[in-house]
Amino acid sequence: MSQGTRTSPPSNIGRVLPVSWLGPASPKRWLVGRAPDGWRAALLVATAYYLGAKVGFAFTFQPHPISTLWLPNSLLLAALLLSPVSSWRLLVAATLPAHLAAELQSGVPLAMVLGWFASNSTEALIGAVCIRRFCAAPLRFDSFRDVGVFLVFGTFLAPLLSSFFDAALVAAIGWGQGSYWQLVRLRFLSNVLAALIVVPFIVTWASGGLAAVRGTLSRERAEAALLASCVLAVGIAIFDRQDAGSGTPPALLYAPLPFLLWAAARFGPRGTSTAILVLVLLAIWGAAHGQGPFVTSSPEENARSAQLFLIAVSVPILLLAAALEERRKAKDALAGSEERLATAFRSSPDPMAIVRLADGAILDANARWEVMFGYSLDETAGRSAEDLNLYVNDEDRKASFERIAKHGGIRDFEVDVRDRAGTVRQAVLAAETVAVGGVPCYIGTFHDVTAQRRGEREAKEQSKQLTHLTRVALLGQLSGALAHELNQPLTAILSNAQAAQHFLATDRIDLGELREILGDIVAEDQRASEVIRRLRTLFKQGETQVQPLDANDLVREALALAHGDLIARNIEVVTELASDLPAVKGDRVQMNQVLLNLLVNASEAMSPNEPGGCELTITTALTAEGVQVSVADRGPGIPEDRQRRLFEPFFTTKPQGLGLGLSISRAIVTAHGGRLWSTNNPDRGATFHLALPGHAEGRP
Amino acid sequence: MTRGGTVYLVDDDPGVLRALTRLLRSSGREVQAFASSEAFLTAHDPAAPGCLVLDVAMPGKNGLELQRDLAAAGVDRAVVFITGYGDIPTSVRAMKAGAVDFLSKPFEDSQFLAAVEAAIDRDLDSRRSSGERRAVEQKVASLTSRERQVLEHVVAGQLNKHIAADLGTVEKTVKVHRGRIMRKMGAGSLAELVRMADLAGVRPTPAQPRAA
Repeated sequence: MSQGTRTSPPSNIGRVLPVSWLGPASPKRWLVGRAPDGWRAALLVATAYYLGAKVGFAFTFQPHPISTLWLPNSLLLAALLLSPVSSWRLLVAATLPAHLAAELQSGVPLAMVLGWFASNSTEALIGAVCIRRFCAAPLRFDSFRDVGVFLVFGTFLAPLLSSFFDAALVAAIGWGQGSYWQLVRLRFLSNVLAALIVVPFIVTWASGGLAAVRGTLSRERAEAALLASCVLAVGIAIFDRQDAGSGTPPALLYAPLPFLLWAAARFGPRGTSTAILVLVLLAIWGAAHGQGPFVTSSPEENARSAQLFLIAVSVPILLLAAALEERRKAKDALAGSEERLATAFRSSPDPMAIVRLADGAILDANARWEVMFGYSLDETAGRSAEDLNLYVNDEDRKASFERIAKHGGIRDFEVDVRDRAGTVRQAVLAAETVAVGGVPCYIGTFHDVTAQRRGEREAKEQSKQLTHLTRVALLGQLSGALAHELNQPLTAILSNAQAAQHFLATDRIDLGELREILGDIVAEDQRASEVIRRLRTLFKQGETQVQPLDANDLVREALALAHGDLIARNIEVVTELASDLPAVKGDRVQMNQVLLNLLVNASEAMSPNEPGGCELTITTALTAEGVQVSVADRGPGIPEDRQRRLFEPFFTTKPQGLGLGLSISRAIVTAHGGRLWSTNNPDRGATFHLALPGHAEGRP
Repeated sequence: MTRGGTVYLVDDDPGVLRALTRLLRSSGREVQAFASSEAFLTAHDPAAPGCLVLDVAMPGKNGLELQRDLAAAGVDRAVVFITGYGDIPTSVRAMKAGAVDFLSKPFEDSQFLAAVEAAIDRDLDSRRSSGERRAVEQKVASLTSRERQVLEHVVAGQLNKHIAADLGTVEKTVKVHRGRIMRKMGAGSLAELVRMADLAGVRPTPAQPRAA
C-alpha cells in the first residue's frame, strides 16, 4: 500500500467497479499507440488510478489504518503491459495528477505523497519491464511459463523491491508509525494480492474479452451464469455471513476451491481471474466488516491471514488455468492443422494416397485416386501397390519406395502406372513421410502427365517429320547432282565391262588387264553403293542418334554429297580445316542436313557470270563457343532487313524454296546446344556460322 | 590394230577416265587421257589428227569453256561431249558450238564408239579439205598481180574483150595471161578453175556496165 497508513473513511464498495472500465477498451487501439488513443488511454488510466486509490481507502480495516487491497499500482502495471513501451512515459505521467488528487484529500504531506508516487510507479515499471523481457509473447495468462514469469516478477519481485524503497521513504520523511520491516511486510502482502487479482483480470478481459463473450454459445453462457451465482453464493456464505471467525470450521475455507477449479477447467484464465477477483473482494469485504473466518484477533492479523490465504489459493489456480489453457490451445492447433491437412487431402485435384511404410499398404486414398486407378477405397484399403499391380515397372515401385524410406520423401519421380482396366498412364510421383496416428506412412501424390507427355511426343514427332521433310526437299533440289554422282560409277562400270568384252572378242587376252578391269568394276560398284547408302540415310526418317562427331568429317561428307552440284555450278571450293578439333556431340544425319543446306544456299547465292564470284570457302576452327564451321560465299550478301527474317519459317527468296531450310537448320543446331547465325563479309558475300559445344572427352 | 586419229579424252573423274580409255583402246583407238582441261591444253598438238571426248562439268575450265577457247584459237577439233547431268540447255549450247555429239552417261559402247568415229572422220575430212585449199592458195600466190586480176575477171565469167577493155589492154594479151593462169593453176577446164578460185577465196570481179 503505497501508503503505509491510511486514515480516510471506508467508501462504498460499488466504487470498485471502475476497474471494469478497462475491459471494454480495445487493447488493439492501445497497442497502436497513436496520439489520440494514447491520450485516451492516459485519461482512462488516470481515472482508474484515482478510483483504485479510493477503493484502496475503502478496504482499510477499522480501526487499524492499513489498506488491505491497494489497487492503483496493479492498475498501472496492467495498463503498461497492455500498451506499447513508447506510451509508458505518458501513462505514468497521467497517473501523477490522479495520485495527487486522491492522496492530498487524506491530508498526507506533499513530500510523502510524491514519495509514494515514486515507489508506486517504480513497482509497476519493474514488473512491466521484467515481464516484457522474459515473456516471449504479450502476457495473456494462457501459458504456464508466462504466468510463472508474472508471478515471480510482477507479483513478487516488483512489490518486494518497491516495498523496501517505499518503507525507506516513509522512514526518511518520518510519516506514520510502525517499524521499517513492519511497513515492508504490510505493503508487500497488500500489493502482492492486488497484483494477483487485478492484473490477470484486466489483461485477460482487455485482450479480446468482450469479443469472446459475444462469441459464446447460450449453453456456455448459462454455465457461466451458474458458476457466477455459485461463486457469489459460496463467497457470501463463507466470507460475509458468519460472525466470529473463531467458530468457523477450517474446512469451510476450502468451499470456494471447487468453483475456482470449475472456472479454471471450463472458462480459462479469463473466467478464473474473474472468479478469483470476486472471491477476494468478498473475503476482504467480509474481513473489513468483521465477518467471515479471518476475524480472529487484531485487524492487522485479520488482514494478514486473509491476504496469505487468498494468495495461497490464487497462485496455484492461476497456474492451473494457464496450464489447462495452454493444453487446450495446443490441442486446437493440432486439430486445426489435421483438419486442414485432411481437407487438402480430400479435395486435392491430384490423386493422393496414404501408404504405410512398414508394408506399403494403402491406408487411405482420395476420390481422385479412386478415379485414376479405378479402385474404390474399400477395395484398396490395406492392399499395397504391388498387390494392385499399379506400377507398370516393378523396379519403379521398389526404387520409389526405397527412396521415400531413405530420404523421407521423393520429388518429380516419373512412373508409368496402370489402372484397374490395364490402361497405362504417365504420372509424376511426389511423396512425403508423415506419422498418421503414430504409424510411419507416406503421403504420395500422382500427378497425371499422360496428356502432357502425349502432347510433347506429338510436338516432337511433328518437328521430326518437318525436319525430314525439309531434308527430302533439300535432296530433291540436289537430285540432278546426285544422279551425276551415281552416273559416274555406272559409266565406269559399264565401259569397263564392255571394254573387257571387246578384249575377249579379239582372242588377244591380257589377263593382267582383265584383272585390273574387274578390280575397277568392284571399286566403282562400291562407290555407287556408298552414294546410295548415304542417300538412304538422309532420306530415312530415323530417331536422333547422338554420338561424337568430327566437324571436319561432317564438312567432307557434306561436300561429297554436294560435289556434283558444286561442279555443275562451276563453284570452286576452298576448305580451311583446323586440325585437333574436339569432338562435337550430335546426330550425323541432322548435321549433314544443316551443312548441306548451307552449302546449297551458298552456291545458289553465287552467279557464274560474276568474275571471281564462284568461290565457296569452308572453315573449321576452335572458338570460345566451341567448334565453329563457317561457310562463306561470294554472292551479293544479305540485306540488313532480311538478315533478321532469314531464319523465320516460310521466309524465302527463292522461287522454288519452301522457306524452311534455315529455320529447321537453326532448330536442329539449337537442339544440339549450338548456334547458327549469319554475317556479311567485309568485301562481298555472306558467311553462315555454325557453333557447336566441343566435348573434350572422346575424340570421334 | 590402231586406227587413224588420236582420241583426246578429258574427264575429271579418274574412274570414268580409266574405263573410257580402256573401251577406246579395246576398239583399236589411240587414246590420250587428261584429268582436266588445263592438262589437255598443255599437251595438245593441234596439228595431230584426232578428236576430243570432253566431260561437260569439271572443276576449273569446264568442257564448254574449253570448246569455246579452242574455237577462239582457230583450232578446229571435232568434239564429242559426255555428261552425267544430261540437261537439254547445255547440250543445245554444245551442239550449236559445233559438237559432233552429246552423250549422257552412262552410254552404250556402240553409241560412244560411233560418235568417236564420226568425230574422227570429221576431223580427217576437215584436215583433208584444208590441205587442198592450202595447195590452191599456193598456186594462186604464184600468179603475178596481172594474172590475178585476169583470174578475178575470168571467174566472174567475163569475155576476153571485156576483160581487155576493163584492164586497158588488147584481147590478145588477155588470152596469153589466161593460158598462163590455166597452166600455173593446173586447171583442166574453166569449171575446175572456178572451183579452185572459190576454194582459195578469190573474189570474182563483176562485169562493168557498158555503153551499148
